[in-house]
Amino acid sequence: MQVSNMKTISQTSPVAHAQLKSNAKWALVNGINTAVEFGSAEVEQARKKILGVTDVSCLSRYGVKGAQAAKWLAERQVTTPANPNSWSVSDQNTLVLRLGGSEFVLEDQFAGSTCARLASDTNRVPNVYKVPRADAAFILSGSEVLNMLSELCSLDLREKSLGAEEVIMTQIAGISAIVLRQDLNGEQVYRIWCDGTYGPYLWDVMVEIAVELGGGAVGLACYQS
Amino acid sequence: MTLRTSKQVGEWINRNKKISFKFEGEQFTAFEGDTISSALWAADQKVLGRSFKYHRPRGVLSLANHDVNVLMTDGIDTNIRADVVEVKDGMVLTAVNTTGGVKKDKSSYIDSISPLLPVGFYYKAFHTPRRFFPFWEKVIRNAAGLGIVNFDYPRILKRKQHSHCDVLVIGAGPTGLTAAYEAAQAGLEVTLVDENRQVGGSLTYDRGGETAASKQLNDLLIKVANQSNIKMLTGTYAAGYYPDHLIPVVSEGGINKVRAKTVIVASGAFEQPPVFRYNDLPGVMLGSAAQRLIYRYGVKPFNNGIVVTANDYGYRVALDLLEAGTKVVAVVDLRKGTNTCGAAITLAKRGIKIYAGYCVYEALASSDKSSVRGAVLCEYDNIANVALTKNKLTLECDGIAMSAGWAPAGALLYQAGTGMQFDNSVQQFVPSRLPAGIFAAGKVNGIFDLEQRLQDGKRAANEALRYLGLEAPQITVARPVGQPSDLSCPSHPYPMVPHDKGKNFVDFDEDIQIKDFVNAAKEGFDNIELMKRFTTVGMGPSQGKHSNMNAIRILARIRDLPVEKIGTTTSRPFFHPTPIGHLGGRGFHAHRLTSLHDWHQANGAVFTDIGAWKRAAYYPTNGQTKEQAIQTEAMAVRTAAGIIDGSSFGKIEVHGPDAAEFLERFFTGSYKTQKVGRCRYVMLLDDSGVIADDGIASRLADDLFYLSIGTSNAAAVYREMQRSQQMWQLDIGLVNVTGAFGAINIAGPVARTILSALTDLDLSYESFPISSVRESHVAGVEARLIRVAFVSDVGYELHIPMAHVPHVWNALLEAGKQHGLRPFGSDTQRLLRLEMGHPMPGVDTDGLTNPFEIGADWAIEMNKPYFIGQRSLQILAKRPLRKQLVPFVLAENFKGEMPMDCNLVVDGRAILGRVTSIAYSKFINRCIGFAYVSPAKTAVGSTFEIRTDSGTLVKATVAAAPFIQNQKGA
Amino acid sequence: MKLLTCPMNGTRPLSEFIFGGEYREGPDQNTCTDAEWAAFVHNRSGAPGDKKEWWYHSPSGTWFIAERNTLTDKVSRTYLLGANNNNSNTAQEASK
Repeated sequence: MQVSNMKTISQTSPVAHAQLKSNAKWALVNGINTAVEFGSAEVEQARKKILGVTDVSCLSRYGVKGAQAAKWLAERQVTTPANPNSWSVSDQNTLVLRLGGSEFVLEDQFAGSTCARLASDTNRVPNVYKVPRADAAFILSGSEVLNMLSELCSLDLREKSLGAEEVIMTQIAGISAIVLRQDLNGEQVYRIWCDGTYGPYLWDVMVEIAVELGGGAVGLACYQS
Repeated sequence: MTLRTSKQVGEWINRNKKISFKFEGEQFTAFEGDTISSALWAADQKVLGRSFKYHRPRGVLSLANHDVNVLMTDGIDTNIRADVVEVKDGMVLTAVNTTGGVKKDKSSYIDSISPLLPVGFYYKAFHTPRRFFPFWEKVIRNAAGLGIVNFDYPRILKRKQHSHCDVLVIGAGPTGLTAAYEAAQAGLEVTLVDENRQVGGSLTYDRGGETAASKQLNDLLIKVANQSNIKMLTGTYAAGYYPDHLIPVVSEGGINKVRAKTVIVASGAFEQPPVFRYNDLPGVMLGSAAQRLIYRYGVKPFNNGIVVTANDYGYRVALDLLEAGTKVVAVVDLRKGTNTCGAAITLAKRGIKIYAGYCVYEALASSDKSSVRGAVLCEYDNIANVALTKNKLTLECDGIAMSAGWAPAGALLYQAGTGMQFDNSVQQFVPSRLPAGIFAAGKVNGIFDLEQRLQDGKRAANEALRYLGLEAPQITVARPVGQPSDLSCPSHPYPMVPHDKGKNFVDFDEDIQIKDFVNAAKEGFDNIELMKRFTTVGMGPSQGKHSNMNAIRILARIRDLPVEKIGTTTSRPFFHPTPIGHLGGRGFHAHRLTSLHDWHQANGAVFTDIGAWKRAAYYPTNGQTKEQAIQTEAMAVRTAAGIIDGSSFGKIEVHGPDAAEFLERFFTGSYKTQKVGRCRYVMLLDDSGVIADDGIASRLADDLFYLSIGTSNAAAVYREMQRSQQMWQLDIGLVNVTGAFGAINIAGPVARTILSALTDLDLSYESFPISSVRESHVAGVEARLIRVAFVSDVGYELHIPMAHVPHVWNALLEAGKQHGLRPFGSDTQRLLRLEMGHPMPGVDTDGLTNPFEIGADWAIEMNKPYFIGQRSLQILAKRPLRKQLVPFVLAENFKGEMPMDCNLVVDGRAILGRVTSIAYSKFINRCIGFAYVSPAKTAVGSTFEIRTDSGTLVKATVAAAPFIQNQKGA
Repeated sequence: MKLLTCPMNGTRPLSEFIFGGEYREGPDQNTCTDAEWAAFVHNRSGAPGDKKEWWYHSPSGTWFIAERNTLTDKVSRTYLLGANNNNSNTAQEASK
């Protein structure tokens, strides 16, 4: 019987299947094999300005729901958004999405560790239910991002309609997804999450459109600095 | 000879850019911005196409997207509308629907036998004798249709996008531009669409010989251009109205679905032709078409023209013709009386002869029928609406411009549910009851005077503002009130001139003449919808834009009813023909992949779609057929072991103190007594007691059950659980972990040996018996292990985080290499479970099957207070069964035609049931299956007959399930 | 395409929703006759008028009730079952 350390078990981004055909440079991020570069820095920066699609599925996530979930998170020093279907930042580096009234998804950004801290707490508490996350997650950037989203989603996602703190659960290219708008390093980006098993499909669709519009795949490295 | 005029203010052509193209083998030149028709007309090419039915030569009619006799083919593209499509350098054009070219169309003989081909002739003529119908069908099919479909046409998919605005203004004429400007001034976000290449509507061509209109247009455009909150889309038509103000607007680039908060329809009106003999000759065109030729394309419509009119608009047309250098031979006005409108006075001053109370009785064709050589005028009786042929008068001319009235471009208003009423004063259907949030303005609203139209645009904008809760003053714009005979009425009540010899066309698409309507009415088709279908009026590509209104007037006259009582035909989206590639869009086919997808691909899997999932169905090796691959994989499971990727199974956690209570209500079995670490079968019924799905519930803790259910129904089952919880409000939490967890099933006699190398869990049958669950580690990964006997009585389902599945899968393959372990797919799984004697919901059951019929009584705990379907089962239990599912075998070494799923179980002529699953099992060396049979014949050893596709009867024998012996020790 | 207002997620196009059938109170299954139960299970009133319907907002997994007039296709109110009017969305609110 061999019990290996979890960290050494190979994991791959759920989106990887769709990225294998490109000549991406791969690297382990949070223990997950991830496409970090799809082209030279100049090419990627140019794409990112027009329409960049980046796979950030490797970021750590923690999901919890139930009537006492907000309280449980508060007890663990996680600041949760006050309103349903909105998001905020906790610990300076963790996105906290409140889905509906009583479900939460936390996502550590590149430097965060809140999710790992919460995951280590395995006690089961009444009305607090852990929701294992296996999302495919994306950052969409650039001047043409709304042009693309207008083909993928029937909702008005422009700044005037989608509030800065709003989280919406809608359909993107026919599948259920979570969407928010974010100012990231002074840049307006959209964040999208969907079930990981739909990840390759959504990646293919988005990159196809992005390429048509003059953008394309952008590696994670662009956001890691 | 060229008919090109000197440069016109605001013309759409660029005279600095010459282009050349071919039409019917001849070389032509054009200016950039010309349409195909305008370029040809400028070159004095007047026969541009042939009509659909009689193959009569046709030229320019409207130049407004309904010259449907002038459709062209350019390479693989066909049915190009020459009147509006820009000509491109190098185009090689031919007219559609000709036999041997547009000039000498061999099919034009049909025109001379037209009396033999009245409307509806093909409905009646070819019925009997029946044996000749295939011959006639071929003839008719050859004759019908326009351009020839090219089956090598590339797959061109256009983008389908969504957009949003406060106000959508449809039509960018003076009314629409004003409405858009006013709404934008109030700070609203406005989208303005127009099907034309340039905005301006009537201001781009209706000038009455003056330049005021073009100046007015410029002023409007400057105002609009300064509003950054107006999005202007030209070359874009609003194709339909869908609920809650969703309007797909279509352009070359694709469909944009505009969701508006409010809609202003300023779509204008279609000019309607008067109906007289030979009103279809090339050279006879609508007044507005003549104006478009002049001001948009700098083309003189003809040299010596007659204007036949029934409203004041024709006088403006005459002035525009003079401006273009056409000699206006006469203005012929159906109406009597001295006209005092400005245009009439100017014309009189310029010495133009005006025949008031006259009609064109017939146009005279040149010898080859390809152009006009003159017109015969008669006095016109405006009460009986007939020509008084006593004193005919012949005038020479080479063209006739026609203005008789207007029909509203009201398709979208109708689709939105607008009540439309016939306004006698303006002789037009106008909106009388508009749906909330929709406003109509301008000509479509029965307002024709230019100043009034501008006001009406402002009025509509203000109403839209108020609808959105903003303040805006109320403006009233009234339609003129009067008699249809008043000279100010924009449309003539009955602009028809009967003629003994006919050929007075109402519908140019389908060559329908006045007499055709009379005949249709005589046949009893005297309702507008019936008349449309019998005569085919309005059913051609122009969809009645120039014919429906006249058809309604004719029917009203035939039935001696007011127009109001006749009504209109139904308007449906799309308003205009739209390419399939536009409708298709990019075509999103969402699908789910497990984390093993790459592995399956690399190992030659054949995939199958199950729900949204792509699943590996089987892995053929060395050129195996599907059947061979499945048997090989199944044999491995029976003799050694196999693994299958079960990541697509539905997986749901039910947490909370009431978890067992929830399961007891939701499923048929009992779960409160289920011990932690044990698994139980779950079956879901609907209210009527029909089986919906089944699965396994594993109890991981007092307050935690882990459910695994079939792939295809998983989303629906979870949804129903959520709905039940919404009703029951129990203290539970539902977590759908379908995508978060993957699953691997390892099964077969050596499965335990292989698995034991990767876990320190005690796998002995004593401590981990069948139908139990353990939480442990496999290959270092946290896993839930479930002992299921679905495909083999030695089987372990490993449920692990999706991202870890490849790691565990590879570890199992490595550990099992020496034991003959191999992967198997979902098709093989089907065979394996059949060998095990497990019926599958949805395969062996249908939308009417209750649990008693599949012998699942054991899975039902009737003594619970409640479960979904319980009450219906109480009723069903009292009734005799009508059919019952049995396992069966075919004869040993069966060699005949293999029965298939859904073949019937028969007894003579009686149908007793059907086969639900059937397969050959190599392991048993027998054909085995499930079938519904009569409940009287379910004893093992009973026989029944299956009728195959070819009608052969195959004998089957009821068997005992499972079909295979239990493994030792399992 | 029609719009529908989910009490939790706001106004969305109909494509985000799944219709769950008419919301009907069944007879008490312990006291009703077989015929009454069968009528409840198998019979539906097709008469147009105001109906309570189940709708499911698919991306968020929200079941709610919509009161809809099946003749005019106007939805007057949507709300979560058992939540009284706290989460109700009237048509007016929805249009804003």
